[in-house]
Amino acid sequence: MTSQARHLVGELRAGRLGRRAFLQHAARIGLLTAAPVPAAARGRPGATIRVASNVPAGAIEPLTVSEIGGLAMLCQTGEFLVVAGSDLVLRPSLAVSWQPNADSSVWTFRLRPSVRFHGGQAFDAACVVATMDRLSDPKQGSNALSVLRGVLSPGGTKRIDDLTVRFELDAPNGNFPFYVSSDNYNAIILPADYAGDFETNFNGTGPFRLERYTAKVGANFVRNEAYWGLPALPARTEFSFFGDQQPQVLALEDDQVDVIVQIAVQGAQGLLRDPDVRIIDIPAATHRQMHLRCDDGPLADKRVRQAIALSLDRPGLVHGLFQGRAELGNDSPFAPIYPSTDRSVPQRARDIPRARALMQAAGYPNGFETTLTTERSQEIPLLAVLVQNACAQIGVRVALTIEDIAAYYGTAQPGRSDWLDSPMGITDYGHRGVPNVTLAAPYLSGGAWNAAHFRNATYDRLVASFNAATELPAQRALAGDIERLLLDETPVIIPYFYDYLCATGPTVTGVAVSGISQIFLQDAALS
Amino acid sequence: MVLQRALKGTKVFWFFFSKKNCLLAFLMSVVRRLLASPGFLAGSAIVLFWVVCAVFGPWLEPQSPYADDLINTLSPPTAAHWFGTDQIGRDIFSRIIAGARPILSVAPAATLLATVCGTALGLLTGYAGGWVDRVLSRLIEVILALPLIVVALLVLVALGPSSLNVTVVIALVFTPIIARTVRSAVIAECKLDYVPAAQLRDEGALHIMFREILPNITPPILVEVTVRLGYAIFTVASLSFLGFGIQPPSPDWGLTIAENYGLIVGGYGWTVGFAAVATASLVVGVNLLAEGLQEVLR
Amino acid sequence: MRAATLHAIGQRGALSALTLALLSMVVFAGGQVLPGDVGRSILGPLADARAVAVLNHQLGTDAPPLLMYARWVGHLLRGDMGMSYAYRSPVAPFILHALGKSLALAGMTLAIVIPLSIGAGVWAALHHGRWQDRLVSLGGLSLTVVPEFVSGILLVLVFGVWLRVLPTSANTRAGAGMWQEARHLILPALPLVLVLFGYISRIARAGMVDALEADYTRTAMLKGLPRRMVIWRHVLRNALLPTITVIAAQTSYLLGGLVVVETLFRYQGIGSLILTAARGKDYPMLEAGILTVGTAYILSAVLADVLVGLLDPRSQAGAR
Repeated sequence: MTSQARHLVGELRAGRLGRRAFLQHAARIGLLTAAPVPAAARGRPGATIRVASNVPAGAIEPLTVSEIGGLAMLCQTGEFLVVAGSDLVLRPSLAVSWQPNADSSVWTFRLRPSVRFHGGQAFDAACVVATMDRLSDPKQGSNALSVLRGVLSPGGTKRIDDLTVRFELDAPNGNFPFYVSSDNYNAIILPADYAGDFETNFNGTGPFRLERYTAKVGANFVRNEAYWGLPALPARTEFSFFGDQQPQVLALEDDQVDVIVQIAVQGAQGLLRDPDVRIIDIPAATHRQMHLRCDDGPLADKRVRQAIALSLDRPGLVHGLFQGRAELGNDSPFAPIYPSTDRSVPQRARDIPRARALMQAAGYPNGFETTLTTERSQEIPLLAVLVQNACAQIGVRVALTIEDIAAYYGTAQPGRSDWLDSPMGITDYGHRGVPNVTLAAPYLSGGAWNAAHFRNATYDRLVASFNAATELPAQRALAGDIERLLLDETPVIIPYFYDYLCATGPTVTGVAVSGISQIFLQDAALS
Repeated sequence: MVLQRALKGTKVFWFFFSKKNCLLAFLMSVVRRLLASPGFLAGSAIVLFWVVCAVFGPWLEPQSPYADDLINTLSPPTAAHWFGTDQIGRDIFSRIIAGARPILSVAPAATLLATVCGTALGLLTGYAGGWVDRVLSRLIEVILALPLIVVALLVLVALGPSSLNVTVVIALVFTPIIARTVRSAVIAECKLDYVPAAQLRDEGALHIMFREILPNITPPILVEVTVRLGYAIFTVASLSFLGFGIQPPSPDWGLTIAENYGLIVGGYGWTVGFAAVATASLVVGVNLLAEGLQEVLR
Repeated sequence: MRAATLHAIGQRGALSALTLALLSMVVFAGGQVLPGDVGRSILGPLADARAVAVLNHQLGTDAPPLLMYARWVGHLLRGDMGMSYAYRSPVAPFILHALGKSLALAGMTLAIVIPLSIGAGVWAALHHGRWQDRLVSLGGLSLTVVPEFVSGILLVLVFGVWLRVLPTSANTRAGAGMWQEARHLILPALPLVLVLFGYISRIARAGMVDALEADYTRTAMLKGLPRRMVIWRHVLRNALLPTITVIAAQTSYLLGGLVVVETLFRYQGIGSLILTAARGKDYPMLEAGILTVGTAYILSAVLADVLVGLLDPRSQAGAR
């Protein structure tokens, strides 16, 4: 047992760590590697599972897929080294075990033997090296670059033997297994000789094989009889693509499909009340980030930013916008679901008198005018209106600009992006199994997604330490410091983290989902 | 000098008097015939109702159309909320009344702007004739063949959505249509005696266009304006629906429908039904009014 | 057919081609002023700038705009509609699929609206000046000006949610028969029916009134032919001529103006294809979609001319 592991078990015994947090953390450092599905819990094999999914907006290319329709496709036939479940526990997949060195700058992964791709190629260390090099190489233009930047570079992945790879990182990272897990949705392992033709064959190692894929229409998969693990229960799965949520809801109610991969509360209020529909509701780190520009105008005064944050009725937002299917946010990316989150940091609540006093102290007793810019997506326009009303209570008169998503982000470069240039804005951030990515680019000085224009040397140092920390108590102590610093500075307001919702018919069992719209159907059955 | 001025003054005075007399009699007959048209009366009643809502809205709304209430979201119609509440608990009855104002300011403003520009363009092309007419007419024809909603969408995406931009875009799109109507009316007028007579008197082109021809083609322009107003309302509502028009938190009806139409099949029909009825009644009202006017003036 | 008719058709074709060329330029130029770039919209807002640059280079969208346009026109002239930026595959199958769906919706609309509006127009004309006439004229006109999304909402509420007699979704379960698919298209088609009803019934009524008052009708009546027969044999044929023109001309509206109805009913036709392509900055797809609608517009206009040429007895006489 390593010192880390010993420490972890001690924490569990001392009662400072819940059972779930223990599992999450133990799996991350490779202590716990076997989490088999109990065979007795499995349903009857042979079903055809019909799935409603968002239409993939582009080619199914593992290197570039970024939206939910496409990434739900990748994980049907493709597999990752490690799977991050909806409970944030890492489970072995193509890797059977993993181990960090002392400062967690080098991670060694043992690979699963005798695995074959659907196309016949053998899975080995060369496939992992090729895949990870492709993802981390700036010349390949992978979508995972923004995740792997500063973590893993081309050449950092080394083949030790056929079934061992070593990752030599750019900087120590205690959460590294998440970077090669399903959490990094582009990282499905492809054959070493992959030639950019994934869409024609969906050549992976997974429990299903592609039967047919028709862009914008649908995809059918059949059971992979030569799968390395327990064979999939469904004989086939049929995905139909929909451009919007409403027809998916209608299709489920009309029994045209068995599963909807993801639903938003907005527009599904009727479905959520329907007793004949099962809702799979998993807490996630998905959130809305409202940035307040720290370098310009009245918002440059942190008292003004605090006042705005104090004007929001967060429990009201959770209840009114999500029917309670969300957790309160405390203006930092540390979601309640992360084991590293320090939950002893007090939750910010609505306090209008204090907010008015702060406005007075900042020299704006009569408030001021500003603009809130955001994207037209799900509940965000409604949130913008609610923020506008809340701000009005403390004299801040907010004009709204609600734009198409493309117009809001623009070229994502300062000066040519409403997202990065607006005094106030609301941006959507997807679920991540660990907070590392959302702690970096949106808040680090000069970070690429730093719409708040926040610059704080202490913060930058704390995040570097957090990334390097492997032990949970150390992570949690640093998390507490970061949370308190962000609460005080308030570069952003994070009002809530909302749950991931998947809807199924009443007879469907065994559907597994992750917070980033991945759906795993190998254990699905109809009763 | 003084005498000359005085003479000129009386001449002008008499000119106006006689003209006004004519106008008065003409107006009286028009009004008499309009009042006999049930369609026109019904249309005016509907439009008047919404104009009253638009002007006196703040005094008529039982609650603020903007105030949210996160405890009472999606409440069905009750005694407290006659038309129910929306997704963030705003009172829909108040929002329907308040929604008359944005559409009844943007659509008429756009129509007016288009009328001014279109009339000027139509007078110019119709009166000047020759190559000016040919070039401009061809251009107008080509513009009219473009799918208007696509053009409007492109312009709005480039400029960014706002009430002002919507007004300008709709005016831009309607100008050639009005110009075409005015042009054909002008060409018909030019064949009448008074235009060559004015030309013989050596009056300036601008004088002839605006002082001689324009008063005589007012009826067709008036009809065109009311018809266009109906389509302006149609277009404003459609652009709001597609998300390129009036911005939240405006109680604009098209926007209300866009924000809530995903809720219909879940059983929350009141969030969109009333806005749809309001929009439909306004366009139908304006249209009945236009139809009545057209029958009387043509 | 007379040479004059051919000449007119040729002229219309030339003008329409000019319009199409202009339209393609407007769309392309519009794309240049829109915010954001192609690679960014494919890779998502949070993608690394280096990845965006690589993708833009692969797609060729980092070339000067004029060069891109020239390349696109070059391909088009060789019959190649281009490759979708987002899907990295030829756009033609996407266009055909969407066009097929739009045509099905348009076909359903015409199947309902033509008998309905012609019947109403004829009925109004036969009661010329009476309340039936007023009802059809004013009612039709009022329906025409109600935006499709407004009438669509009301129809869904009444027939789909309240009475539950029609399916509210345009999508059918896999393997559904023709009849089922048609049933699912009724609600989406109805808003379009309402818009077209006013136009077509009005023209049918006017044509009918003219025909009823025409000399040949009086002659036929004076010859003692039964009224019903006169109407069937002589009046309808002449009355429907202008109606056909209007129907053919409105087909373009059906194809182009579907954007709103397809958005409302989430129907994956050519209108929603255009809107999606515009939002995703997929210019080859956008251009192909708009030009397809434009071409349909030309074809329907020419078709209207040809139909009139064939059906009009006077132009037939001229040809002989």
